[in-house]
Amino acid sequence: MALVTRFDTPASLRDMPAGSPFYDNWHNHIAGRLSSSTPGSGGGEFYDPSEVNVNIAAEHLLVWMGFPRALMVATNRDNRVAAFAAGENRDVQEEYCEWRVTRVGGKITKVVFVTETPEYYEKLWAVDRATVVALYRALVSPAVVEADLHTAGTYNRRNSWNTTNGIVHFIQTINTLNAALGLAQGSVNSGGARDNYEASPGPQTSVDPRVAMDIGSLSRKGFSITLREPIGLYITGFDDTGWSKPDGSPVDNYWTITRGSPGLVLRLEYEVPAGSGFVVGDIRIGGRPIEYGGQIAEHVTCMIGGVAGRRAR
Amino acid sequence: MKYKDKDPAPVPNGHKKIEQLKISIKPKELESKFTNILTEAADIELILNAGLHISSLGTDFGAEVPGSEPEPVYGFKARANIQGNTIPGFNKDHQHFLFYRLGNVKRAKQWLRWIAPLITSMEDVLAFVRLHRAMRLRLGVKEPPMCATWVNIAFSNQAIASLVSKADADAFGDQSFRQGLAARSTYLGDPTSRKHSGHRQHWVVGGPKNEADIIVIIAADDTEDLVTTVDAIKTRAASSGLRLLFEQRGDTLPGRLRGHEHFGFKDGVSQPGVRGKVSTAPGDFITPRYIDPTDPRARYFAKPGQLLIWPGEFLLGEPRQQTEHLYSSAPAAANFPRWAALGSYLVCRRLRQDVPAFWKFAISVATALGVPSQQFASMLVGRWPSGAPIMRTQMTIADNPALAGDEWANNHFIFNDDTRASSLIPIPGYGGDGFDQATQDFLGTVCPHFAHIRKSNPRDISTDLGKPHDSLLRMILRRGIPFGKPIFGIKRPPRGLIKKERGLMFLCYASTIEMQFEFITRRWVNSPIQPNFGGHDPIIGQRDTRGNRTRFIDVPTAAGPRRVDIKNEWVITTGGGYFFSPPIAAIAGVLGA
Repeated sequence: MALVTRFDTPASLRDMPAGSPFYDNWHNHIAGRLSSSTPGSGGGEFYDPSEVNVNIAAEHLLVWMGFPRALMVATNRDNRVAAFAAGENRDVQEEYCEWRVTRVGGKITKVVFVTETPEYYEKLWAVDRATVVALYRALVSPAVVEADLHTAGTYNRRNSWNTTNGIVHFIQTINTLNAALGLAQGSVNSGGARDNYEASPGPQTSVDPRVAMDIGSLSRKGFSITLREPIGLYITGFDDTGWSKPDGSPVDNYWTITRGSPGLVLRLEYEVPAGSGFVVGDIRIGGRPIEYGGQIAEHVTCMIGGVAGRRAR
Repeated sequence: MKYKDKDPAPVPNGHKKIEQLKISIKPKELESKFTNILTEAADIELILNAGLHISSLGTDFGAEVPGSEPEPVYGFKARANIQGNTIPGFNKDHQHFLFYRLGNVKRAKQWLRWIAPLITSMEDVLAFVRLHRAMRLRLGVKEPPMCATWVNIAFSNQAIASLVSKADADAFGDQSFRQGLAARSTYLGDPTSRKHSGHRQHWVVGGPKNEADIIVIIAADDTEDLVTTVDAIKTRAASSGLRLLFEQRGDTLPGRLRGHEHFGFKDGVSQPGVRGKVSTAPGDFITPRYIDPTDPRARYFAKPGQLLIWPGEFLLGEPRQQTEHLYSSAPAAANFPRWAALGSYLVCRRLRQDVPAFWKFAISVATALGVPSQQFASMLVGRWPSGAPIMRTQMTIADNPALAGDEWANNHFIFNDDTRASSLIPIPGYGGDGFDQATQDFLGTVCPHFAHIRKSNPRDISTDLGKPHDSLLRMILRRGIPFGKPIFGIKRPPRGLIKKERGLMFLCYASTIEMQFEFITRRWVNSPIQPNFGGHDPIIGQRDTRGNRTRFIDVPTAAGPRRVDIKNEWVITTGGGYFFSPPIAAIAGVLGA
């Protein structure tokens, strides 16, 4: 397989016109985060596909639950309602999936999920502030002005339109592309483990052990491993089977992909169209009313793509 | 650009379209091949396991692992209080299920006090097993002439509210139990359309209008004994005002298919090993231990492939599995009434099986792939009809009844990495596992990601909830038995026989319904992308997206995966219920008081 000449943007987004320096900047950012080769267990490696030529033998998609496992399994094992209530805080949404709930009169009317990273917006800001403002206006509110988004010229990740008043990209401290790339590269070394039972169980999250164990297992087989283009953190599935309207019939399709594309979703919105006579909070999942965004996040599946092969000779 | 898919089901494989497999088979050829499958099945050699699992009881099966965490000891009092179908399981050839609706509460309580002494305990079953084993040794036969008839009972949440109090019913922490199976039906993928025969409105029991309050399970070695006990219970129940909503007889398949389900595959090969001891004597475990303590896997496997699970995953109020660790315990749950300790939730699903539909699908796809039908059907299951795992027949690509009959080998495999031979303690008369060990199948080219045994029990693979340690929290104790007369293995079965109803009474025990049975069903079996991309479980998977019940599998081929849509259904839910199987002392002492 030929070398990657330029790392693409997540879901091949084209927020800037062709020829913009933003695309080279994005490539340089990814390339700068990847070592040419990180040696791993069993003779495997994690490699930078813009520097190392590998014949791809297989593609593997790593999936995990959008709702934080630590809340559901580790700390609220016997109280799912408590887990969902705790999960409304974006600072604990640590599975590379964050969401924001809109309520009217206490009832949920809309839930927005994102997997976009702050790095993307920072790189965009550095090239064209107006585009960032335009994106915020389109995604959150027409009221957004440039001054809202920065502090002394530096893009503010935790600006009000991405926290108290809206959601655009990750704010949880370890939900960054850099952290994800670091996790993937570091996972190539699984110590002396011969299988996943012997591997370190890792943190309480779903995503970390998922990435660590899948990449570690491939490395043990001597594979050269990297992330699949376009590199990004995605929502790849959302399951509303068994969800019902107030009259008991199955829900219609209330999902809208507003950033990304099917299978490579970066922003996903769940909202019942106006005039339907009910809102999200009136929908029941398996007979239970939706009271927290986390009840939906449990049925949102996140994904990062990987490829494995042998070095071209 | 905004996308608004008509169907929100995920685009398979991220964003790449997978080519459809072209399937074309003439109806006459399909019928002919189906007839041949049934005929071949009548001739194949199947090596059968003994009917009863041999528990330890006598300190000779299982060495203690030095330094390991002490496991709870279930003395006589506890053993006499735990219902025997939960642990160790009845495993009888003939069973009968009675589904009752309560009438007059006072008279129902009288009936409960009458039936309480009939309820078979863990102690009763273990005592039988002990005697059975002694007789086998003494007589030198596999099946000594011994008979027993056993009874267990379980209650719906509504029944507990009626018999005890609403407060007690509400104190059960499992919300799915409180809701009942009918309310959770479509969440489990059952049909949403009332026109579908599997819609809960049509269920023989457990639908919105015929939910059972009580299930009674009667199991026997001898059919006459079974009928006698069933009749006695029915007579007494009728005179106590209980209304019989439905009853179902179940029998293991006859002859060489004993232990198989109706599609022809050996069922129940893999069960978790419940931790805990019968006494403080060294090695006196509930689940026999065969791994040599010098092998590190002795800490988490009872025998090769059988993971050890802390009993609190099945019995309320007992030490549970630690959420982040393979073999450490976690504190017991406390979200239930105190009298319910040592009880267990019971899921019952009556599943109708359409044998011709299953095999005709397998034949059609196998023909398109150019492989034998039985081989492809085994890929759907993950095991050959004999029960031999396809992970361990990679060299021969053929069924291996000898492997299937070796209980120390037939479950010994992992998926992501090469399986290493286990070091076993000396087992009298056992020469060792000489079969080819499984080699890694990370990508699911041998045992596909959709295979039933890989979907429902991912073993060592990391899942959508991360480490495989989490999967230990999902284990269930399966106690199913077929119903109806078989056609698999029958040469040229008459059309009338083919049309008769048959299926599986699926029962399982767990300490939560939601995070064990429902978790496996919804997150893995019914999902085409969890725990890995590759399609739905083609055996028991259910899918209903706004009335569309089409499933799919991505079949691994030399040219890459090929998509096969599954439009027909061969496992359809026709009834069931969510119940709680209480400790025996509570039947007369609380529910019947």
